[in-house]
Amino acid sequence: MDAQAIDRLVIEAQSLGRKTLPEPDAKEILRLSGVPVPRSFVAKDLSGAVEIARKIGYPLVLKVVSPDIPHKSDVGGVALGIRNAKELEEKWAEMVLNVADESATSMIEGFLVEEMAPKGAEVIIGAVRDEQFGPLIMFGTGGVAVELMKDVSFRLGPLSKKEAIGMMTEVKGFALLTGYRGETFKDIEAVAEIILMVSHIMEEVGALKELEINPLLVYERGVMAVDARAVLK
Amino acid sequence: MLKKSIEFFFEPRSVAVVGASEAPGKLSAVIMDSLLSSGFTGKVIPVNPKYSSVKGLKCFPSVSEIENGVDIAVYALPASLTLRALRDAESKIKGAIIVSGGFGEAGDAGKGLEREIKDIVRETGIRVIGPNCMGIFDAVSGLDTFFIPRTRIARPRRGSLSIISQSGSFAITAMDELASAGVGVARVVSYGNKTDVSETDCLRFLSEDPHTKAVAVYIEAIEDGRSFIEAATACASKKPVFAIKVGRRGAGSAAALSHTGAIAGNYEAYRAAFRKSGVMELDGYDEFIAACKAFGSAAEAKGPRVVIITDGGGMGVSIADACVEAGLEVPPLPEDLKEMVREGLPSYFSINNPIDLTGSVTDEMYADALDKTLSDDSFDIAIVAALWGPPGLTDELPALLSERAQGIKKPVLVCSPGGAFTRSKAELFIKCGFPVFQTPEAAVKAASILARRAPRRKG
Repeated sequence: MDAQAIDRLVIEAQSLGRKTLPEPDAKEILRLSGVPVPRSFVAKDLSGAVEIARKIGYPLVLKVVSPDIPHKSDVGGVALGIRNAKELEEKWAEMVLNVADESATSMIEGFLVEEMAPKGAEVIIGAVRDEQFGPLIMFGTGGVAVELMKDVSFRLGPLSKKEAIGMMTEVKGFALLTGYRGETFKDIEAVAEIILMVSHIMEEVGALKELEINPLLVYERGVMAVDARAVLK
Repeated sequence: MLKKSIEFFFEPRSVAVVGASEAPGKLSAVIMDSLLSSGFTGKVIPVNPKYSSVKGLKCFPSVSEIENGVDIAVYALPASLTLRALRDAESKIKGAIIVSGGFGEAGDAGKGLEREIKDIVRETGIRVIGPNCMGIFDAVSGLDTFFIPRTRIARPRRGSLSIISQSGSFAITAMDELASAGVGVARVVSYGNKTDVSETDCLRFLSEDPHTKAVAVYIEAIEDGRSFIEAATACASKKPVFAIKVGRRGAGSAAALSHTGAIAGNYEAYRAAFRKSGVMELDGYDEFIAACKAFGSAAEAKGPRVVIITDGGGMGVSIADACVEAGLEVPPLPEDLKEMVREGLPSYFSINNPIDLTGSVTDEMYADALDKTLSDDSFDIAIVAALWGPPGLTDELPALLSERAQGIKKPVLVCSPGGAFTRSKAELFIKCGFPVFQTPEAAVKAASILARRAPRRKG
């Protein structure tokens, strides 16, 4: 993990008076910690987006980047499976209207053009810094309904590998990683590594108040953090 | 700075009561009575400039005038007078118990007073319990600073369970129940606002205390989470530690920016802290009392396999259901054991698990069934649900069960549901040292807590 680079990123955000890091920065922290993230770049305008798309190839994902929008899909700020430049143009126009409509006062920093990760099982790995006890790590069944289902488990950091595994086996959704109804057996080892890494990042980067990967896509081999958020103290 | 251990508080050679008086209804008068009637063998020294003697003992105008000093001083003065009295005594005492309220819990002025107490602790190295607390009831030394008379709150006999509590009223209510349930205690500490001495200090002391075999903790809030985890981990590695956490509200904030922040409240952090330390978390007062009874008066369980012995089939099945619900096992009797238990019993008895001895039961049949099943390797815990309808059951039953179960180092929990007659019989079980529970659910809670501590418990 490149602690110095993460520190620089956090200090810069603090100097800008930021309380939350936009998705690209949160993912940059993960990337610098060795957590797999999709290739992506921020576009300021449509021609920039088309340029980026040429570089990373289709299909891809378009997402609004704004510190004021914590849940992007709620405001129509996420478009998946864009297959060509024409669709990119359409989705771009649609999203600009959606966001202007649903979240008119939000500051828009740009749009993230990102390689589309293949489907996988979705889990959430998050952490909050508790005032009395320090980093509290959460694992659970991922997706947009996390708060509805609350199929989650908690441990205090710093975590041991045994604790990380314990967190996984405790939630009902663990079955989704272990061949439930004909599904393939997923890379549990890799998930445990990410849980440990989130705990480690929280121990190392004192300025982080919250860090969350949702979802982390889990494959037969490997994982991919397709969305992330970070909150500063 | 390394603070002095709080051990000296529990077996002091001398105790000064500052503000001592004989006036009925005064806290200090109750404390004097408690100290003089609890079998405490240390010296009790009243301090009050208004009197020359209190309860027949020489009374000193101030702690500083006591020759040779005292080990601890108990302050039952108004908050505003306590600081001056503490300053006066600081060079003469090792520790102070401040029972008075009117400090941090009462607003900014009180908070200021507590900061001054902190300063005194830092400057002099004395230790302070309280303010706004009951202090210590110690069944080992007889020290009793609790300001509720024994006629209202009974003191338990001496035993091996210690209780530490932020709340005084919770501590005394639990004590009173345990006294009625025949469960003994070693040390009970109520530390109130914990300006100095906190649960962490208490856990460090109890961890090393040979008189304490199990620790019950009542928690409202913990300030230094990491030290708590350290102390609790050390203590729980040596003896069972169980805790109840109240004030669970304040769940994750709805305005949180992450899902984690929205779900994870402060209570989740407490639960995770208990888990990390090996502290068993209890859900509510019933479970707290059940755990106190279990660890206060039953043997330790080596596993989760329960045998249920009853003379009421319905009660037996209801206990079995509650066991399974709680994650306990209720395995059938192995064939050879079944044969052994069946010996001498009428053929229509149902020898399964639960074992139903029916309305034809006698004292001897109960004792036999308990002896044979619990001696067998197939079971770790017995729940005996004696319903008192059958004419064959007599007042000799509890003593007979106790005698026959004596050599077997496994917990025997008595479930005794029923009305006035049954309750009077429950007293007989209590006198014989059994942990007795009114409901199947309470008995099963106790069994499940004992099993959680068993060696093959889940990680």
